[in-house]
Amino acid sequence: MSTAAQRFLQDAAVKSADLMHREIIQRGMDSYDAAHLKGRARIKDWEAARQKCQEIKREAINHLDRYLLQFEEKVVARGGHVFWAANSEEACAYIKNLATRRNVRTVVKSKSMVTEEIHLGPALEKAGIKVWETDFGEFIVQLREEGPYHIVTPAMHLLRGQIATLFQEKLGQKIESDDPAYLMAVARRVLRQAFFSAEMGISGANFLVADAGVIAISTNEGNGRLCTSIPRIHVVVTGIEKVIPRLDDLAVLWPVLATSGTGQGITTYGTLIGGPRRPGEADGPEEFHVVLVDNGRSQLLADAEQREVLHCIRCGACLNICPVFRHVGGHTYGTTYPGPIGSVLTPHLNGIMEFKHLSYASSLCGACSSVCPVKIDLHHHLLQNRRNATEAGATKSSERLMFRAWRHAMLHPRIYALGGWLMRNSLRMVYGLGLVGSILDPMRVWNRYRAPVPLPSESFRARWRKDRAAN
Amino acid sequence: MPQTEKAQTENSSRDQILQWIRAGLRAAVKVEEPAAVSDRLIFEPVNNPIERFQQECVANLMECARTADSAASARQLAEALQPLPEGEIFVQDDPSLRQLVELAELGRTIRWSTQGAPAEASQATVTLAEALIAQTGSILVTASCGGRGASVIAPCHIVYAKIAQLVPDLTTALSRASQGQTFDHDSFACVISGSSRTADIEKILVQGAHGPRRLVVILQTGT
Repeated sequence: MSTAAQRFLQDAAVKSADLMHREIIQRGMDSYDAAHLKGRARIKDWEAARQKCQEIKREAINHLDRYLLQFEEKVVARGGHVFWAANSEEACAYIKNLATRRNVRTVVKSKSMVTEEIHLGPALEKAGIKVWETDFGEFIVQLREEGPYHIVTPAMHLLRGQIATLFQEKLGQKIESDDPAYLMAVARRVLRQAFFSAEMGISGANFLVADAGVIAISTNEGNGRLCTSIPRIHVVVTGIEKVIPRLDDLAVLWPVLATSGTGQGITTYGTLIGGPRRPGEADGPEEFHVVLVDNGRSQLLADAEQREVLHCIRCGACLNICPVFRHVGGHTYGTTYPGPIGSVLTPHLNGIMEFKHLSYASSLCGACSSVCPVKIDLHHHLLQNRRNATEAGATKSSERLMFRAWRHAMLHPRIYALGGWLMRNSLRMVYGLGLVGSILDPMRVWNRYRAPVPLPSESFRARWRKDRAAN
Repeated sequence: MPQTEKAQTENSSRDQILQWIRAGLRAAVKVEEPAAVSDRLIFEPVNNPIERFQQECVANLMECARTADSAASARQLAEALQPLPEGEIFVQDDPSLRQLVELAELGRTIRWSTQGAPAEASQATVTLAEALIAQTGSILVTASCGGRGASVIAPCHIVYAKIAQLVPDLTTALSRASQGQTFDHDSFACVISGSSRTADIEKILVQGAHGPRRLVVILQTGT
């Protein structure tokens, strides 16, 4: 078993038994569920909206080269820079070199999962640059020196009291209350100084609009606005799959993203930026750089079955509805992108052998696919990843042997019946001896944490025969 | 540095990535064509834009005041600014706003957008909008509306708009921005739907995060 898989199992066992964690997540998800349903009701035809979004993203991804070039041409014509990074190292090196050349000492960052994916923060810190995460949730997890718990709400695993204590310890000031509004005001004061002293602002992009040649950022707090307005350099870090064909497409994508992300009708700030400050404008950065990150995405394009995984708009709806995510929590996955989309994507980005276990972190219930606003068939992709891992020889020989025996039994009814009889009787003996969940219990994996399933007195086949005879 | 040189020195992976993309796209992907949605109505059409705009403003925790003429708008402006602490007000330098500010007799220091970006200590900013969007209760601003910081730095943002600027939905607003080639003359635009907010702690809504706590729209119906 690989280390990532071992860690996953250990952390999952701890988290799912942590009742406090369970309660916090349950409460958070309950409030999301209510808002999400209310949000969906505001859209007249939700299914038509999903289909429209799927079509927009499909068109964009199927002509990815054309739309990226169209976007690039517009941005460059306005004096912006577009850098194409094949991997994390290239992206980080470009930004680090730019920062060094321009004597950047402080960077303010708004939320961007791609910067988490390429580990940009640590790369800049290593070069002696101070990096401030300015999204409230990201600011909190940065102070805790941990990654985001969730791609939309990074600090949803914490209670206000924990955050008050954290601020008291890390910000060097007296914290007088654990009221969320008070804590936000404290963060606002601290981060205002950062905004006005930083030389560089780094943001992500929710969409790259090809025809207008602009990036689109959705934020509620306004930190994304400040990061892209005040510092003299603005760097956008985003994946190549974020491109969409037309500005008008946002008329559907914005409401759908907001509804799926938080249940809002639309996110508070839908910001569109096409280049550096123009002559005559009151403010804005003098430099505008867009870093387009590939990092394995172009390989996914060639995967006939899974190309649509690139349609993802990172709303987090599949995390919120996933029964596995709700029990094990975001950090357990040990990946940048947790939940169903992370389980599908991570093996492609970071290697199928190390992350094949994530394909099994699912009951294949399909809840994720049912809520995905761009209709990605997530649970089938998990199944395909299982198959791919098996074909790549990732299964243990004991497992292969078991399945061979199972196959044989399925093809030979008498052997199957014998197996059932043996299992029923041996289990009855084990249970009778009080060995439930012990090392001698063949059902130990299940029975260790749960009450055993009552044993039937006879086989299904016997019952079937009896019922047929009675009728 | 000229662009052509940049393309060579900084984009060493550009051609490689494009090549990977094109190779990937050549792989056959079976696409089931779904029934077209073009004839299906995704959003309820907006029949009464003014009413809808005002409803959405309430839902977005914005203040919207309808006024009959510029004198009434000036009174509304003075009223909106009245509870704020002493301090500078940042105003987009536009003839209609100069007139409004004069009428309102604010008695405060004014910093005009032609004098530069708003100061961190600004108590409020006053700007115009490019459009108001009824469907979502939003205002559309661009860099021409006093710059980028004008709608986010101060704790209170006041927008002075005319009823003729109201459009029914996002599609209309974005199509107009596309056709008007907004980004040929503005480096920035933003659809703003309410005051700045967060729900990052226990999903509890806090109004006034990094941006304005108050967003006030003065919607003038007459001249």
